[in-house]
Amino acid sequence: MRLRSDFILPPLALLLCLMMLSVAHAADNKFNLKDGAKGKNCLSCHDSFAGVMKKPFIHTPLKNWDCTGCHNPHAASHAKLLAAEVKDLCERCHAKIIPEKPASIHKPVAEGTCVKCHDPHAAANKFNLYKGGNALCFDCHKEMGSRIAAVKVKHSPVEKGCVSCHSPHASASGKTLLKENVPGLCLKCHDSSKMTFVKMHGGYQVATARCTSCHDPHGSNQKGLFYDKVHVPFGKGNCKQCHEEPTAGAPFKVKTDGYKLCVGCHNNMVNEALLKGRLHWPLLDRAGCLNCHTPHASNQKGLLKKPMVEVCGQCHADTVNWLKNVEHKHSPVKDGDCTACHSPHAADQVLLMNKPTSIEVCGSCHDWEHHSTHPIGPKYKDPRNKNLTVNCLSCHRSHGTPYDKMLHAPSQTEMCTNCHSKIGR
Amino acid sequence: MRKLLGTAFVFAVIFSSASMALCAQAIMFQPVVSIYTDGDGNGLLSPEDVACTATSVVVADTGNDRLVRYSLAGNEVKYVSQSKVSQLPSPIRVQIDSKGEILALSGKNRRIVRLGADGQFLANFEMKNVPQGDTVVPRSFKLDKKDNVYVLDIYGGRMVVLGPQGEFLRQVAFPKEFGSFADLAVDSGGTIFLVDSANSQIFSAGKDAKSFSPLTQSMKEQMGFPTYITMDNTGLLYVTDQNGGKIILLGQDGSFKGQKAGRGWVEGLLNYPVGICLNGSGYAFVADRNNNRVQIYR
Repeated sequence: MRLRSDFILPPLALLLCLMMLSVAHAADNKFNLKDGAKGKNCLSCHDSFAGVMKKPFIHTPLKNWDCTGCHNPHAASHAKLLAAEVKDLCERCHAKIIPEKPASIHKPVAEGTCVKCHDPHAAANKFNLYKGGNALCFDCHKEMGSRIAAVKVKHSPVEKGCVSCHSPHASASGKTLLKENVPGLCLKCHDSSKMTFVKMHGGYQVATARCTSCHDPHGSNQKGLFYDKVHVPFGKGNCKQCHEEPTAGAPFKVKTDGYKLCVGCHNNMVNEALLKGRLHWPLLDRAGCLNCHTPHASNQKGLLKKPMVEVCGQCHADTVNWLKNVEHKHSPVKDGDCTACHSPHAADQVLLMNKPTSIEVCGSCHDWEHHSTHPIGPKYKDPRNKNLTVNCLSCHRSHGTPYDKMLHAPSQTEMCTNCHSKIGR
Repeated sequence: MRKLLGTAFVFAVIFSSASMALCAQAIMFQPVVSIYTDGDGNGLLSPEDVACTATSVVVADTGNDRLVRYSLAGNEVKYVSQSKVSQLPSPIRVQIDSKGEILALSGKNRRIVRLGADGQFLANFEMKNVPQGDTVVPRSFKLDKKDNVYVLDIYGGRMVVLGPQGEFLRQVAFPKEFGSFADLAVDSGGTIFLVDSANSQIFSAGKDAKSFSPLTQSMKEQMGFPTYITMDNTGLLYVTDQNGGKIILLGQDGSFKGQKAGRGWVEGLLNYPVGICLNGSGYAFVADRNNNRVQIYR
């Protein structure tokens, strides 16, 4: 019996191995291709790939001549005979690129357009990237690229590459693809316990503060990488002008809340606003000036926290969002320049218009009313409402509308017959 | 005689319940008439609020720095008088108390003043014993049935409740997360409702609550920039959507019940409306600010 098993088992094991090999081969060779009919065979038609194969970084399936790793040689429901959607196809091998609960995802990754950055076949750059270094990032992030190139004071990690701080695909914990949130990320290089660090921050313990509320991590024209526009007391290191002493129990606490803190220096501006008939109410709430302005440094004019349209859009999201889908926009709206027409602190006019009448507001850029226009002004009653006179806004909506010339109505005829109803059909 | 009296009593009961039911119905927002001018034909200018009773209407004629009083009989509105007092420039809120006296808030000096029923200035409304009372910035105010005054203090981040003579009663803190509060309403049970313009959201606090909590999620889809809130005697909330030119109706639980009016110039439509007042007799008065008028709906 022992003899018999010695005799039977080895061939059985051999047979099993052969079977497994053949199954594995069948799995590899899902299209049952003849020997030599793999990738090299594809090149007989796709001869341009001879050049591609000479590039230094070749995608692994292609390196293995496995074109069918991604393409279906016969027919497919996807462009370029791909066996699946690009995202799904890439995920088959690169599933771990996105963490399980990401805090942020790069837009092309979320959209599944991996090929916006990576050449799926071969490239001159590592990871099959189309361009090396920051150049690839600046293809989309153009403004950032221009700014980084122009600033006087460079942040060395930026010069080494955006990926010094950002994860290119997704981040498990950081916003805006940061590898880690601020200040943790900054403190990896900047030791907050050093005396020079403490001294530079006026003795305040800033290790838990948000570094990017004052410093521009991408570079700046100011020493200390401050944002370009610096609040004067901050620039002079007079932190105590607004904050408690650095040795106080709550050193960052401001001496008083809201506009009352700012009025000490900006008394003319505040008093002027408080004497107007209509106030922008956020000015007088607990946050006061800080609803719109940052107290330390900013890249925006007037120390605004963000670009103007984003600041205004914090509360006036309905207006900003509506305008996103409107075809005919007023040019200051396109430029995000809300203060071209509105006074941001206070005014005597409704909607905080910066001039007494809408005709005067419009007249600060347009001069139609001086040469050729429909009768407008206090002499001309609006036929739709006896308490209104005809002005620019009788026909045009100041931010924009879906209609030509920012008219309220879809056509000029409809707009005119709004008032001239007798001639309407 | 007894039979006759009995029949009359039954008729009276039926009639009064029918009329009460009529009053309790929601306003249908059919335009009745609009107020454009004072007695001398001077037009209203950017009115921001209106107060009303069954027989009188007071308009905060903000752009003209005055209050204008009218009497109301059925659908007929008659000019009574105007009050232009130096203590009340740019009036943005107006209320009538149970004695017929007028309280109004100036948007310019941010003080509440009291005027007699005849519109004569009586006194500034002083807030007594309010914690950090010198910092109060009233954005809006409303009265309850006992003439208690509810002040929306945006600097203090709180609702301050005061007695009719200004004595401090209590305060309710704003919630931790909110955008920008513009107005409030108080129901008969003492529940306070706040309208957040920036987030298009309603918050509420029960009579004994220490802080406000959200009654609704953000309602950006239904209302773009709500700036005023009031309530009818059935508990229906009326919210003015300034930028949308609409009146939004909400249930007491915050559920969306519909919208009325719309943006435009002709009567019936609204152009940046602000205040709304329901007089309990089936009429709604809307301060149609950018149309320089007050519209009356039934």
